[in-house]
Amino acid sequence: MIKFQDVSFHYKNTDAFGKQQKTRGVDGLTLTVKKGEFVVLAGDSGCGKTTVTRLINGLVPHYYEGELSGTVSVCGMDVQSSGIGDLAPHVGSVFQNPRSQFFNVDTTSELAFASENLCTPPDEIRKNIRRIVQEMYMEPLMDRSIFALSGGEKQKVACASVAVAEPEIMVLDEPSSNLDAAGIEELAKVLALWKAKGKTVVVAEHRLYYLTALADRLLLLRDGKLAEEIPGDQIRRMDNAQAGERGLRSFTPIAMPETETVSAEDVLVCEDLEFHYKHSENGIHIPYLCIPRGKITAIVGKNGAGKSTFARVLCGLERKSRGSVRFEGREWKPKMRPSLCYMIMQDVNHQLFTDSVLEEVMLSMPESVSKQEREPLARKVLEQLDLSYLSDIHPMALSGGQKQRVAIAGGVVAKNPVLLFDEPTSGLDLRHMRQVADLLRQLRDTGKTVIVITHDPELVQEIADRVIAFC
Amino acid sequence: MQFFQYGNEGYKSILDPRTKLLLLVVINVVIIGTGFTGTDFLLRIVCAAIPLVLFVIIRRYRTALLYGLVCLVMFFGEAVLIPCTTGTINLLIVITLGPFSRILVGYAFAYYMMCSTTVSEFVTALKQMRVPDQISIPLSVMFRFFPTLAEESHAIRDAMRLRGIRLTGKNGGLLKQIEYEVVPLMMSTLRIGDELSAASLTKGLNPGKPRTHICRVKMELWDWALVALSLGFLIYMLVLR
Amino acid sequence: MDKKLNAKDLINIGIFTALYFAIVFIVAFVGYIPIMMVIMPALCALIGGIPFMLFLTRARKFGMVTIMGTLLGLLTFLLGRPWLSILFGVVAGLVADLYLKGSDYLSIKKAPLSCGIFSLWIVGMALPMFFGFRDAYFESLRPGYGDAYVDALSKLTPSWMFWVLIVTIFLGGLLGGFLGAKILKKHFVKAGMA
Repeated sequence: MIKFQDVSFHYKNTDAFGKQQKTRGVDGLTLTVKKGEFVVLAGDSGCGKTTVTRLINGLVPHYYEGELSGTVSVCGMDVQSSGIGDLAPHVGSVFQNPRSQFFNVDTTSELAFASENLCTPPDEIRKNIRRIVQEMYMEPLMDRSIFALSGGEKQKVACASVAVAEPEIMVLDEPSSNLDAAGIEELAKVLALWKAKGKTVVVAEHRLYYLTALADRLLLLRDGKLAEEIPGDQIRRMDNAQAGERGLRSFTPIAMPETETVSAEDVLVCEDLEFHYKHSENGIHIPYLCIPRGKITAIVGKNGAGKSTFARVLCGLERKSRGSVRFEGREWKPKMRPSLCYMIMQDVNHQLFTDSVLEEVMLSMPESVSKQEREPLARKVLEQLDLSYLSDIHPMALSGGQKQRVAIAGGVVAKNPVLLFDEPTSGLDLRHMRQVADLLRQLRDTGKTVIVITHDPELVQEIADRVIAFC
Repeated sequence: MQFFQYGNEGYKSILDPRTKLLLLVVINVVIIGTGFTGTDFLLRIVCAAIPLVLFVIIRRYRTALLYGLVCLVMFFGEAVLIPCTTGTINLLIVITLGPFSRILVGYAFAYYMMCSTTVSEFVTALKQMRVPDQISIPLSVMFRFFPTLAEESHAIRDAMRLRGIRLTGKNGGLLKQIEYEVVPLMMSTLRIGDELSAASLTKGLNPGKPRTHICRVKMELWDWALVALSLGFLIYMLVLR
Repeated sequence: MDKKLNAKDLINIGIFTALYFAIVFIVAFVGYIPIMMVIMPALCALIGGIPFMLFLTRARKFGMVTIMGTLLGLLTFLLGRPWLSILFGVVAGLVADLYLKGSDYLSIKKAPLSCGIFSLWIVGMALPMFFGFRDAYFESLRPGYGDAYVDALSKLTPSWMFWVLIVTIFLGGLLGGFLGAKILKKHFVKAGMA
């Protein structure tokens, strides 16, 4: 079905210093996927697994430009010589970001979209949609606005929209990155359905626990090459330590660690915190919550439990919230809270404004810092966060992890005693997750109170001094 | 950008998008071109009432109420206050009410159109009017992108507040403010645009190639009635007056 | 490079038209003060120059700028301006496009001027104030708005104002082009995105 024969691909792009460069995608890769096989691609970010998915659906080399050598054949077609359009009827693709993979605004149109492009007669498309909707139990999601769906629901619609055109091959590129545990469970059900229907499935993914039961084979990539091939039944016998040795996330599900009780410490206290969105049932009411100072507190819970709302209230983004927040013997009114709690958003891109890393850090400094002190102070913080060598670079030219560190640097110079992280490890591999964990510990050890909102049990296990579950 | 929010959950529109387009044009022609006496005034009232009725039909009672109230104030102001005041007060009322009342009805109808039409209905209608892909594809992407822009700019403004970037103060200045808001928005636009293109290509979007539409748009009795009404208005506006 | 517009080009046109229109719309809304009405179009052109310049880095084929102008003209028309406003969109887009084609869309120097030309679609927005529409428009205002307003407005907008408006919009667009080029250089080129 899919055949890679000594395939190498290099992307053309510019690096952070503005030089033209070639980035390796894959390097001399040979692999075969049989019809009906379920293959998982794993490995560090940058190992080439995304490139493999792009070679299958034709985005490489037809959309992302670069140098390709070797031959890729999919369903008997040569990818190099046929266009993305020729592959579209045979290969369905699901991507990482649920915000940007929908062409339409409503779910029903999106489900029909791929088939419409193939010129399938309308009645047949309607029939297919009805069948898929039934198979995937998604009646409640029909005729809805995409913008009103949760991340998990969006990803389910993305899967269904691919399935309606009935391609033989499904490729998924880190589909679980933005999902919570319940969303992942739904995704796993869809994948199981596809496997049962005899589809050929290729998934590139960091989180592996939901795939172990389904995988026929796991291909471990390293530096664009095939490092190890593990058959499915062998994965199912392996434990998480063996996953760790290979730099992979856990093979079996990890339960969220139990909540500990706190002793009478110096704490951040929220009392009777209440906020409700207009025209919506969503909102929070927290009678009493205390968060230990100088510790790492993880906030967990499923989507819609109010974690983000709590974060927004704590950072003072929702000014109409009621109740009190006390810290260091002081009451913090909503208006004051931006200088209490600094949030590092899930999408840090929104948080970067200036044209160099140094400027970016100086932007956050309180007005009390004098002119002469500003730059040395900023450089010191950059030093601490291992960013000095990037200080003249444009923040948007950095990698995801570096951007996150720049945002953190902003929080550190702003002298906010509390730092709040919203899903800092979504879509990260084991190595990068551990880097984030180290960074959080480092911040804690300098005396910051760290709050982490997360769906990632491995991160919680690694760092949390205390876990608070929202439900 | 609330104007372009798609809010049509689980509801099927009773009007054909082509009828809505025609009505939008006619309503604007009438409201901008008519005065406050005789037949003119009657036409204005009819046109102003159309969005009101339509809001009620799509069960947007709150919007309907708000729109109705604003309309009443406008008409009261224009028909009663303006003729019986003079001088500065007159000018003040006219300057505040005037331009607003001229665009209010048109905007209200445009808003109705946005929340009662799915993008695919709109595109299907365009196809039936033989509009080429080179126009209809960008147009549908545009409508799909407005809510995304709203989401993105909301997030960016939150981030600005977290960082304490305000119009006044240390990082103040209008130009800086615009830069801080527009640049991240443009960055997001580029990124989302690239990802959206990639996703659409893998779903076989190919301009100029024939494609089918599952969405049914058909002119019904209601449509023809409104088309006739619109044509009547147009004839009155262009010929009889 | 393939000269035909492909799906990616059309999607780029769509999202940039949305961005451009949203920004202009917000400027127009914020600037909706009657006294400002005369300079507001130029202000729209100025701020609109920023996203337009970024669009030009993605528009390397003939037709993209024209389509953007056409879409903006269509939107203006849908918001109740005379049908001539579509023509303004199409023509402004087409002329800017032809001008850019002369240098194969690669000259950075030509871009701000094309931005000035392109901005003239905004004239369509202010169209009811002028030409054949002007007198009819004012007459239609007279019974409702009272003579004082109409006289004040027509004093503010004598027919030569039309040419002044074109010049201010063009200058606004030109300036916006330079501003956009500066921001492009400061941010997007530096970040490796343009």
